[in-house]
Amino acid sequence: MIYLDSAATTFQKPSAVEAAMVEALRAMSSPGRGGYPAAMAAAEAAFDCRSELAELFGLDNPEQVAFTFNATHGLNIAIKTLVPPGGRVVISGYEHNAVTRPLAALEADVRIAEAPLFQPEAVSDAFAKLVDGGVDAVICSHVSNVFGFIQPVEAVAVLCRARGVPLIIDDSQAAGVLPLNMTELGAAFAAMPGHKGLYGPQGTGVLLCGKGVMPRPLLEGGTGSLSIQQEMPDFLPDRLEAGTHNVPGIAGLLAGVRYVRQRGLEAICRRERQLAQMAAEELRVLPGVTVYARPDLHAQAGVLSFTAEGREAEALGEALAERGIAVRAGLHCAPLAHSSAGTLESGTVRLSFSDFNTPEEVSCLVSAMREILS
Amino acid sequence: MDHYLIIARSVTYAQRMQRALARAGIRCQIFRAPRDLTELGCAYAVRVTVSGLTDALTALHRESLDPVQIFLYQRGLYREVGR
Repeated sequence: MIYLDSAATTFQKPSAVEAAMVEALRAMSSPGRGGYPAAMAAAEAAFDCRSELAELFGLDNPEQVAFTFNATHGLNIAIKTLVPPGGRVVISGYEHNAVTRPLAALEADVRIAEAPLFQPEAVSDAFAKLVDGGVDAVICSHVSNVFGFIQPVEAVAVLCRARGVPLIIDDSQAAGVLPLNMTELGAAFAAMPGHKGLYGPQGTGVLLCGKGVMPRPLLEGGTGSLSIQQEMPDFLPDRLEAGTHNVPGIAGLLAGVRYVRQRGLEAICRRERQLAQMAAEELRVLPGVTVYARPDLHAQAGVLSFTAEGREAEALGEALAERGIAVRAGLHCAPLAHSSAGTLESGTVRLSFSDFNTPEEVSCLVSAMREILS
Repeated sequence: MDHYLIIARSVTYAQRMQRALARAGIRCQIFRAPRDLTELGCAYAVRVTVSGLTDALTALHRESLDPVQIFLYQRGLYREVGR
């Protein structure tokens, strides 16, 4: 199989990830639940993972790193901490349902900072027009999961700091690819999956909590601390981590994060962008194909969408799957992003690359598309 | 053997303390705190030698790490000596 669906989850993982998970199943129990070796081995893996993530994302305290099930879980915590029912929120036009559905459930007053694809300055300007002191939170994805559009989170963070509005960053498609420094940005939260660009297993996620932020837990239960007290602890990470941890997942995530740090964000990003650019150039010349990318891949990471005139996106995805190529077609759980880009009716076929893809795989994809369209 | 137990609010906090002490050249171990020492239930502690307490507290203070409680273990009994 040629796997080009890493924006959903990375399928090829560093070999150390599987080894770490097997070792965790063999030798680790539950962190914070005992002082015996198996519990302490689990606690060490969890602490090391928090510490690596804190260093990668510019936090000086590993307690500000909370484990979640996925990015959606972290975004729900962040949103439900900062946005009261009916609260005012400004979001980018490229947000995922992981953001818009919790806001709908809260019946929030959502304003959209509308901007065309691949124009980060327009995104900044749109936020500047909508954000004022009465806004409860600003939410901005770092990279669009549909189009790979790199949004100007640094500029949005400056704006939020100046206007005293907390910022939530959805780092789902950027974590492990683009740098993000929580301390410099002063963001309230950044949520991300562990199983995409950080190369951990499915079922892992991370919520980075800004300094001084006290999140509201979604789950209450045992934490291995302050057991007499019936309220959840008022300190991190325990406040957000009720119940038994996904220790094999955390051990695998630790191995994945170590791979990313050893390889380097710049090298990973360069590789993924090169593959996306190659795909964009070769698909663009096929008859009827529209590729959503600027020629120089300006403001775009290793995620690429395309459509083909007269062809259903889902049908194209099926045809590629029949040829052993895994892509994602449709709306990608992000109707708002499709609406912003004008592709809501058709959907798109999305290619998303990881550090393990090759130019030969891109050539196979292009050949397959040529055959399908002929 | 006589020693001090520095109680931490959580296992993660105890691990931060352990790393801070290691950076200061002070070796210590993490333990579950004995139940009768903690008012609010489960907690973890780092154990340091009697002679190492002052340096340990200095190292923790330098990294803004605050113990919940400090106990001295002597002649088979724990006695609270600080918070």
